Amino acid sequence: MEIPRLSRRRFLGLTAAAGVAAVLGVPLLKREASLAQERPKARYALIIDTTKCTGCGACIEACRLRNHLPEGVSYIRRIVKGNERNPRFLMIQCQHCANPPCATVCPTHATYRREDGVVLIDERLCVGCKYCMQACPYQARIFDEERGVADKCWLCLPWVLGGGLPACVEACIPGARLFGRADDPQSEVAQLIASGRAKPLHPEFGTDPSILFYVIAEE
Amino acid sequence: MQTAWGWLPAIYLFLGGMGAGALLVAAAFEFYGKRYQYDFCPTALVGATVPGPLVILGTLLLIFDLGAGRREPWRIFYMFTHFSSVMTWGVWLLTLFIPVSLIYGFLEILDAFPAARQWLRTRRWLRWTAFLWNLPLRRTKRVFAGIGSVLAVGVAIYTGILLSAVGPAIPFWSTRVLPFIPIPMMPVLFLVSALSTGMGLTVDLAATLAIGPMEQRVKSLPWIHMAFIGVETLLLGMLLITALVNGGSAAQSAREIIAGTHAVVFWVLIVLPGFIFPFVVHAYAAGLGRHSLVSGVGSGVGIVVAGLFLRYLILVSGIPAAL
Repeated sequence: MEIPRLSRRRFLGLTAAAGVAAVLGVPLLKREASLAQERPKARYALIIDTTKCTGCGACIEACRLRNHLPEGVSYIRRIVKGNERNPRFLMIQCQHCANPPCATVCPTHATYRREDGVVLIDERLCVGCKYCMQACPYQARIFDEERGVADKCWLCLPWVLGGGLPACVEACIPGARLFGRADDPQSEVAQLIASGRAKPLHPEFGTDPSILFYVIAEE
Repeated sequence: MQTAWGWLPAIYLFLGGMGAGALLVAAAFEFYGKRYQYDFCPTALVGATVPGPLVILGTLLLIFDLGAGRREPWRIFYMFTHFSSVMTWGVWLLTLFIPVSLIYGFLEILDAFPAARQWLRTRRWLRWTAFLWNLPLRRTKRVFAGIGSVLAVGVAIYTGILLSAVGPAIPFWSTRVLPFIPIPMMPVLFLVSALSTGMGLTVDLAATLAIGPMEQRVKSLPWIHMAFIGVETLLLGMLLITALVNGGSAAQSAREIIAGTHAVVFWVLIVLPGFIFPFVVHAYAAGLGRHSLVSGVGSGVGIVVAGLFLRYLILVSGIPAAL
């Protein structure tokens, strides 16, 4: 059969066009991330003072109990830093980012950010693809094997909305955890953040953590 | 080391890439006229018919790897809705690629085996399809080959973007082509690897097994394949060097690959069977014009096995950023 030459050219052209389009798609993703930074700041703040934290793990256990998580599973994870003589403990949980990458990569809208800054998972929408777990630079997400959905710290939202405290704050023995309203300039958390003592963890990740802040001693 | 994604996603990434690459080879044979150079073209036949089933199998593995989506499959439909997610792009690409490649494969079978056409045409219970037989078969096939190859490029590239889109969370996956060029490496590497494994399947394996070494019929093929292997080697080298230069957990990933826990997989299951051996075999075929059954099948199997382990290696060597 006679082969028209135009088809070959069109084939190569289409293939190249698709390749270019796919490569251009990547900066588009980045642009969306930069737009997201203009979202309103969070209303709540949870500050962890690592100079007071003894690494006892009461917060980890309190979180587990309040959220009915199985033995050994919690929304809070302990990282030991420093050396043996002078250990430093870094308690990691969802940072409730203003620009949450977990919500960007979620294929189903299951992860979303409330107006007050709290990032939540709608477990009815989650398919359990675990993409959010890969995309979270704080590795703050766990997987609920029983229900097959992603799970993480939800700031004990029903307690907080009712005027109470997150379980980890209530349980903290050395008083290293502070919780309050960041939008009230008189509050202790707002003043700590304004003074620059409490800072977001790893701001270079570009996710703009908006509720969790850390007081870290200058070494 | 990330543990959320293991073997199932690795096999899926591999099947998607190889299926897309095989379809691109078949479409290239179609548009360059090599398909019609001889009466029977196993490369085009396999390249057109196999991608559909391969990608269906990969998609089933993906669904099987889901949590709630496996038990309540209707949740999978939610995955079509969130366009900021690369996974949503992928779901759309797969949904479009599977039917197009199946139709392309079906038309290729009808074209390659007139007896099949005759059989279908004479069935009484298929009389309602009579209007289809008036369509020009090859032109229709070429339309589906064209649409299919655009989607195939998308499928091959998106699997790489899927990994690179995690950004700072897993620095090795988001490594750039070169430190100062803002293009992620994974999509580029996965596209070239898809073409290489596609050629390994359709040319080295299928054609050699069906009619003897393909290289004897299309003289430029060993050169093209050597070029793909060469470019892939270059990209893999650039990936590892850029990761080492970047430092942090990306450099740790590269060190684990070159001389750490994954070194055996890298050198023995990827570099040797997928790069060195097929390159030597194809250089021999290109230089001497000879290609034996054993070397053709050997390099085909080597390239396909290396393609699978390459996806697995990149998944397991993803180390989250240190906090």
